[in-house]
Amino acid sequence: MIEVKDLRKVFKNGEIEVEALKGVSYTINDGEFVAIMGPSGSGKSTMMHLLGCLDQATSGKYFLAGTDVGKLDDNQLAIIRNEQVGFVFQQFNLLARTSISKNVEVPMIYKGVSRKERKRRAEEMLAQVGLAHRMDHNPNEISGGQKQRVAIARALVNNPDLILADEPTGNLDTKTGDEIMGLFQELNDQGHTIVIVTHEPPIAKQAKRIINLRDGLISSDEVIA
Amino acid sequence: MIFETFRIAINGLRTNKLRTFLSMLGIIIGVGAVIAIVSIGSSAREEVTVQISSLGSDLLWVTPGFSAGRATRMESDPRENFTLNIIQYIDDYSPGVTNVVPEVSGSVQLRRGDNTLNSTAVGTSQDFTTVNIYYPERGRFIDQDDLDQSRNSVVLGSNVASELFSDGDPIGQRIRLNYQGRNINFTVVGVMEPKGQGIMGNLDRRVYIPVTTFTDKLSRQNFVDLYYAQFSPGFSSQEARNQIDYFFFQHLGDENLYNIMSQDQILGVLDQVTGTLSLMLGGIAGISLLVGGIGIMNIMLVSVTERTKEIGIRKALGAKKRNILGQFLLESLALSSIGGFIGIGLGYLGTYLVTRIGNWPLVLSPIAVILAFGFSLAIGLFFGIYPAVKAARLDPVDSLSYE
Repeated sequence: MIEVKDLRKVFKNGEIEVEALKGVSYTINDGEFVAIMGPSGSGKSTMMHLLGCLDQATSGKYFLAGTDVGKLDDNQLAIIRNEQVGFVFQQFNLLARTSISKNVEVPMIYKGVSRKERKRRAEEMLAQVGLAHRMDHNPNEISGGQKQRVAIARALVNNPDLILADEPTGNLDTKTGDEIMGLFQELNDQGHTIVIVTHEPPIAKQAKRIINLRDGLISSDEVIA
Repeated sequence: MIFETFRIAINGLRTNKLRTFLSMLGIIIGVGAVIAIVSIGSSAREEVTVQISSLGSDLLWVTPGFSAGRATRMESDPRENFTLNIIQYIDDYSPGVTNVVPEVSGSVQLRRGDNTLNSTAVGTSQDFTTVNIYYPERGRFIDQDDLDQSRNSVVLGSNVASELFSDGDPIGQRIRLNYQGRNINFTVVGVMEPKGQGIMGNLDRRVYIPVTTFTDKLSRQNFVDLYYAQFSPGFSSQEARNQIDYFFFQHLGDENLYNIMSQDQILGVLDQVTGTLSLMLGGIAGISLLVGGIGIMNIMLVSVTERTKEIGIRKALGAKKRNILGQFLLESLALSSIGGFIGIGLGYLGTYLVTRIGNWPLVLSPIAVILAFGFSLAIGLFFGIYPAVKAARLDPVDSLSYE
């Protein structure tokens, strides 16, 4: 469960202070499929960084699966990112010159999973996203849709509490984007909690709840399915 | 985990092989130079040591001393104290030495029929052979009768024999020695075995005559150039030296009138010279190692900047600071240690070639190998720390958005 209470984030750029989030509160229960929407500058990227434990809030509280994230140090944040959050990025962010299966293994390396188990689990995850036959290929040898599937497999591999996707279809054509969204639907049906950050209404509509951000505040929060 | 970090680091290096090699070059040259210089130095020293030892082992040399203050107007030439009859006294009063050999030499012209040859005549005694481990091949060496009666007997070096007597056996033949204008006839009694080039010159081009004959008939002065002696079994070089020193001091009353040198001392001086030289050259090579280290730091800094995005991805996937630190530190360590290994190989090859050309014994200094390799590792560590810390400290959000 995700609990966000009066979350604020202020960026200082020299003398100028920019308040990206001005006090945001909401709760996301396990198994939900949420889209966070908003135009650029609305604070949705900042929201994603905070939810993903890549950054700390200036004030307010963020509980992820009962943990007060605000009280964690860099090392503990790394462990949370490793074990409780699975990232899917717009630009896929796969490691170049590294085979697909090795890419999927990366989070398990930092978790300390044995080599044999890593290999087994990477195969299992790649099979689940339909890429078992591409395991030894490098990222530059596969299509964008396939890259995003690899990224999803990588996000799932440590069995996280939250899948966090930042514009996951932004670099894909509509058809492929729909396939990826279908995959997220599937994962949600299996019980995974999914949060997608997007500015595209058609994508957001495929989630079950939409939180709209505007100028660092929630402008609407509605369940659509 | 460390193993995994190591694999990640190696993969990082493999992706840019040429750059990896170029950044290793400084270390390769540095380590190679250190090893080659120190090892070639050791080999050269070994070669000279062997030559000195081949003069005969366990030797002490006593030479007349020349003190700076008295060089021009001395009441007496210190050489004049080096008379032949001292030998008996040295033998009697210094149980620490045996086989005291006098030596006096001068340039001569040898003549047999129409053949002439420039050579060096050495006046010495019968113990010369034992002390120098240098024996006649044919005939005999100078004996006691030769000495007692100042006979005109001569023993030829092997080259002299082959040049003057290319047509037959020289034993029993007569040759004429010309020393400072005086001609004296000698009978050949022996020919020495070939010994070759030593640090004292080519022994094979010399001739040997009784020391008494030299002093009576050639130089017509009753003193010699130097004495040398072997120290007796059971006595250390220091003991033997002290005894001779005591005797000469008692006899001459002035320590400036004589010099005693042992083989240890000569080797010691040699050690000092080669040691200083090796240290100096090794220092220069060390500087190139340092430059190599700076090259590694440079490349690592470039690498960190280039891979900012990768660092961001790894951090997002759960890499802790120490994982990133370890990855880049191991990369620079791998750079310097692989460079070190290649350098060792290159240094060894260089040493091998030089010692082959010089026909020296190959002495690969293990200390130099360990030192150079350890130093290159230390450099990899030292110059790798800053780039690695820089990588580890990168902010995840900033590095993820880096293009």
